Amino acid sequence: MSAPLLEVRNLTKFFPVRAGVFLRKVGDVHAVDDVSFTLHRGETLGLVGESGCGKSTVGKTILNLLRPTAGQVLFEGRDLGTLSHAEWRAVRRDIQIVFQDPMESLNARHTVGQILEEPFVIHKLGTPEERNIWARDLLERVGLPRSAVSRFPHEFSGGQRQRIGIARAIALKPKLIICDEAVSALDVSVRAQIVNLLLELQHDMELALLFIAHDLSVVRHVSNEVAVMYLGRIVERASSNEIYDQPCHPYTRALVSAIPLPDPGRERDRIVLEGDVPSPIEPPSGCRFHTRCAHAERVCAEKTPEWETVTPWQQVACHRWRELRGEIQD
Amino acid sequence: MAEPVLRVENLCCGFHTEDGYIRVVDGVSFECEAGKTLGLVGESGCGKTVSALAVMGLLPQPAGVVEEGRILFRGEDLAATSHDTMRVVRGQQIGMIFQEPMTALNPVHRVGKQLFEALRLYESGLDKDDLTARAVELLEQVGIPDPVRRLREYPHQLSGGMRQRVMIAMALAGQPEILIADEPTTALDVTVQAQILDLLRELQQERGMTMIFITHDLGVVAEFCDEVLVMYAGRIAERAPVGRLFNAPHHPYTRGLIESLPRMDTPSRTPLNTIEGVVPKLTEMPAGCRFSNRCGYADERCGREVPALESCTERSAVREPRDANGGGDTEAVEPRAARHEVACHHWQRLAA
Repeated sequence: MSAPLLEVRNLTKFFPVRAGVFLRKVGDVHAVDDVSFTLHRGETLGLVGESGCGKSTVGKTILNLLRPTAGQVLFEGRDLGTLSHAEWRAVRRDIQIVFQDPMESLNARHTVGQILEEPFVIHKLGTPEERNIWARDLLERVGLPRSAVSRFPHEFSGGQRQRIGIARAIALKPKLIICDEAVSALDVSVRAQIVNLLLELQHDMELALLFIAHDLSVVRHVSNEVAVMYLGRIVERASSNEIYDQPCHPYTRALVSAIPLPDPGRERDRIVLEGDVPSPIEPPSGCRFHTRCAHAERVCAEKTPEWETVTPWQQVACHRWRELRGEIQD
Repeated sequence: MAEPVLRVENLCCGFHTEDGYIRVVDGVSFECEAGKTLGLVGESGCGKTVSALAVMGLLPQPAGVVEEGRILFRGEDLAATSHDTMRVVRGQQIGMIFQEPMTALNPVHRVGKQLFEALRLYESGLDKDDLTARAVELLEQVGIPDPVRRLREYPHQLSGGMRQRVMIAMALAGQPEILIADEPTTALDVTVQAQILDLLRELQQERGMTMIFITHDLGVVAEFCDEVLVMYAGRIAERAPVGRLFNAPHHPYTRGLIESLPRMDTPSRTPLNTIEGVVPKLTEMPAGCRFSNRCGYADERCGREVPALESCTERSAVREPRDANGGGDTEAVEPRAARHEVACHHWQRLAA
């Protein structure tokens, strides 16, 4: 196997919580805690979890939009934490991000042409005439008319704006795109168009995607591998087939069973979790899911579960997965 | 067959805007059967929420107008009724919950105060203790632990799921016959959504409530609704019992929507089916079928002629229960719940 394009090792990000008159630090939000994964060229890793599980923080920390508290991010074998400002600028060409709401991430006062030419300007590429042609090419590449360069973002629908966001992300021919809930705000029929566009671009440009979203059915569809996060930690990693066919972690199982399927009349064993996600300021000890897990035992509250291998394509962090799998199969 | 609890006939409504009047809902008719859930499904801007607001008499004023149509609730036309009557209907006969409870709840008042306000509206002469007792009871019914403490909290201190439970409690305070739920779980995480759907299902069974469930999520429709109206650009495209809608969609739009969903049991990383193009702007709608510019079946007639909503059940001679003249031979009457109607010139080709 070739070296991974992206390797994240024990990534941790805490945000200080300050209170009182002097804003003294009273604790930490454990947003991301000891997260590791690898991503190969041309492949997609899906990062799925519910609000506040830290999935977006992972994306932002990789891009150095947030400084990690601990851990390393290796891109093509280089530790991004040790790069100088100038070196970062070069790396940024290779790593791009697409956000959920293109209305907020596209400058409303710039024309689409200005938006798409900006990456070239920043990286001092081409002449103004060339940039203009490149911008038009990009629009065509994402399925918009070349004439759109002179229009403003507000003149487009949500799906079209997301196409502009994607065009900007692929402008510098990156190797990795982080899609942070990139299709979550779109209507079903438009979402399918954008998913197809991403898959097509990925194939043509050998792009790696880190696909962050809360919707497991979409994540599964675009990913080779899926990592499920809960309260700042990854609890299960598996190929996109295994994650649905045989989820091992009790949280993954609850998540899978909670997805409403467009299949009326189909009988399903639904696992409805009780209560809410605990606060990430003082996360539960041991396995973070133990407070809501129907199968939790004493060990779950005392010891953080280690990674265990289910199959070469599936790893789980749960003390009891072996017994639980037996129970399901019986 | 019992009379429907609510019957909407040919509802047309719209808004006065800077660019003139725009009709947003164009000739929508439906009935709600007692104790059942009717799903209103469609993508952003299809008019599903506006239809519901019109039923509640809550279209933003003065821009919003109900031009035409009747909204019959227990024989009374809500579209023509006075504001005072509507105030009684709202809450006590038809309740509504919204998508984002944080914007629907008042952030500067405690949960208790807001619940008391709702309760006082429906029942006079309650003292503080009665109110507290009733509010605690309501919060218990919607599964909020430690309700006495919650009454003293502000909306921001609650999680999204808890806030939606409070909203449901407020809607239940007036003991409505019909509950309109407008995207009640869209802003919630899937596991919380499962909790809220369970709760709504239980409450419906206990109280025999009729529900209108507005959503864009076909998965939720499949699991929650008995009958479904699919809306597109302000009109009804198809109406069917939930099983038929998913197993035998007869409108190209419905079929396109269902096929464009990523499914958990299909191979990943294959292209999804899509509906090409975008919904036309309300001011630039095609003259005939509004889906015609995105439809693979469309021909010249589709661009010209508006398709009527017609029955496509196997037995072609469906008799309207209304014509049955107080009963008579009820066997010949197609049960309302099994009605499958579609507004497409080419539905026979899709059915084949």
